[in-house]
Amino acid sequence: MLRTGFLTTVAAMTLMAASAIPAQAEVSFMYPEWLAALVEPGITAFEAETGETVKAIKLPGQGYDQRIALDLSAGTAADVNVMDSFMVSELASAGYLLPLNEPLNGWDQFEPYMKGLLEVASYQGQIYALPTDTDVRMLWYDLSNFEKAGIPTPWEPKSWADILDAAQKLKDAGVQYPFQLPAGTKQAEAATMQGVYMALLGADVPEGDRNRLLKRDTNQWIGDSPALRRTFDFYHQVYAERELNPADLNYATDIGAAVRAALANDQLGILASGSWEDACLWDCNTPPSREERDALVAWTPWPGSGEPGTKATTNISGGWAIGVNANASDKDLAFKLVTSIFDLDNFKAWTLATHRMAVRTDISESPEYMADPFLAKATALAADTTGRDTVPGYQTVSALIQQATSDLVDGVPVEEVVQTYHDALVDEFGEEAVVTYE
Amino acid sequence: MKNQANPWLTGNLFVLVLGMLPAIVLIGALLYFTAWAFAFSFTDLALVGRKSVEWSWVGLENFERLFTRRGFLESLWTTVIFVFFSAIVGQSVLGFLLAAVLRGTQSSIRSVVEVCIMLGWLLPDIVAAFLWSATTSQTGLINQLIVVPLGFRPINFINEYALPIVTIANIWKGTAWSYLLFSAALDSVSREVVEAAKVDGATPFQRIWLVQLPIIRPHIATNMLFITIWTFTYFPLIFAMTGGGPGRQTETLAVFLYNQSFARGNLGFGSAISVAMLAIVGVLSLFYLRLLREPK
Repeated sequence: MLRTGFLTTVAAMTLMAASAIPAQAEVSFMYPEWLAALVEPGITAFEAETGETVKAIKLPGQGYDQRIALDLSAGTAADVNVMDSFMVSELASAGYLLPLNEPLNGWDQFEPYMKGLLEVASYQGQIYALPTDTDVRMLWYDLSNFEKAGIPTPWEPKSWADILDAAQKLKDAGVQYPFQLPAGTKQAEAATMQGVYMALLGADVPEGDRNRLLKRDTNQWIGDSPALRRTFDFYHQVYAERELNPADLNYATDIGAAVRAALANDQLGILASGSWEDACLWDCNTPPSREERDALVAWTPWPGSGEPGTKATTNISGGWAIGVNANASDKDLAFKLVTSIFDLDNFKAWTLATHRMAVRTDISESPEYMADPFLAKATALAADTTGRDTVPGYQTVSALIQQATSDLVDGVPVEEVVQTYHDALVDEFGEEAVVTYE
Repeated sequence: MKNQANPWLTGNLFVLVLGMLPAIVLIGALLYFTAWAFAFSFTDLALVGRKSVEWSWVGLENFERLFTRRGFLESLWTTVIFVFFSAIVGQSVLGFLLAAVLRGTQSSIRSVVEVCIMLGWLLPDIVAAFLWSATTSQTGLINQLIVVPLGFRPINFINEYALPIVTIANIWKGTAWSYLLFSAALDSVSREVVEAAKVDGATPFQRIWLVQLPIIRPHIATNMLFITIWTFTYFPLIFAMTGGGPGRQTETLAVFLYNQSFARGNLGFGSAISVAMLAIVGVLSLFYLRLLREPK
């Protein structure tokens, strides 16, 4: 009697479990909240066209990079994923992403993608993701606080000394966050790109990649160099020696929201950030009007350090991309979702509305795009830009750089920070993969 | 002694193993994650990239780096301070005092205070983190209500006193547990014993120190065991409030482990950190378990 009851229960549970698995495959899709205005209309169009449902996983931007890496490596990631483009080669080298060359060649809208920008999302000759946008980096500043500190605008700093001087004046004028220079591990990639790399590029001459993290011809990471030391010293000046900025914004519960609130409340002087702020100053998905923004903030290119032979202004570009999980249950359907999001009408509308830098010629050469004054200036800045060292290992190096900036915020001497960084690189990649410059 | 088991069962190894299977599966499942972390702490396994699939054994390298590289020892010290002040001193002592004081009060007052204490415990960590960040910021409630009206310049608490602030936040968050446990423990002390001590002329302090505390000693040890273990590995509140910063000021071992494993992507090193944490918590647990034993 007991046995029959038990067997019946098992059978019933098996049936229930089987019926819980949907007969129709659905496509799962993970994306950060700030990209909603691009992807959500794409999802709607995809669902209307195919009759399939998309299981959308919308996440806050904070901690997104770690989440995507963890999900893909644990095998629990969505079928389609938005990711920071620097992660593509690393994720591809581990076999987590689907190579897209073949399906892309069968898509009639692939041709207009700028080939140079596809390189960031490629690994060993295969494209693994499609970029959503590219960007440039600059120093944003609060006009009313500059007036309060008596700094004439438009502000055109020519060297790091000019930035530090301005920050000092802002501090003396009582501005709470005179120079928000991204630092620390919680800032993640922002600390590397918006802060360290922008400074590093202008810290030494470009010859032999002396102003980079990677010596690209030999694929060796630079463990110690005058450029690194100068950059770290710049952080040391800002956060420790001259205390030109309290560090807490870098560790806020939601950094993006805290920085925007500080800017909106006129607590911020200079913000090292990028072209997306033109849309994201308040909320990435609903940008303010041009007049409203121009009355509050302006921007200037990052100057070089002022050392002889260094670049007058620096810039580095990144961007985000959408790729397909190598283990997606229905790969064709997953790719179809990608093309629905990047369908010209949808993609163009978003690019224009949020003043993003286009990655396709059919958008960048459109009259509406060329008429946008912000994009025209930003594109001029992009004429002299570079990309991240997106070879496998970059994510680790970037994390070590972020740790170094954490230590600098704590007031650890530059010498010690460089030593720690160098040793960690050797730990990760071996002695022969690390080089030093005198 | 005669073997009581069925001879058919004991003579048949297959049936014996089959019978043990559920136990083996259960123990295996329990050991799996610890064993995984232990095994991979001797490798250079990475989260992404080539080393995530082609990892290799590196011997004791990861453990050496715990001591030769900046990070682990600093985080261990931060963790010790955090655990000592927020759990052992803060939650335990405050929880005990509240339990002792509220015993003698009216049940209505007691209920109101209990609900207030419980609210902190019931609030999700992330919400609590937002609240504490907002309250202690330069424009936050503490500055608006206390610091500025008294004529001082507003203080950026979370920037200047990060570790004390997260410690206080955790005391606020976790005191309910200690309070409930001590409250129940004190209720179990029979009134007769306390009355007898009173008749013998013991002061209120003596009644607590010499009568009640020794009786509830096992409860104290159990409470210490629990809160030490989970404060030692506590992650969400600190991570959401400060992410380990400013700099590394609040980087406890749990946050350090997260940064090394998932930001730097070095799962091998991360595993070594977790094994070290396991060992430390294990030693502390043994200490408390000894306390739990009845004195001879």
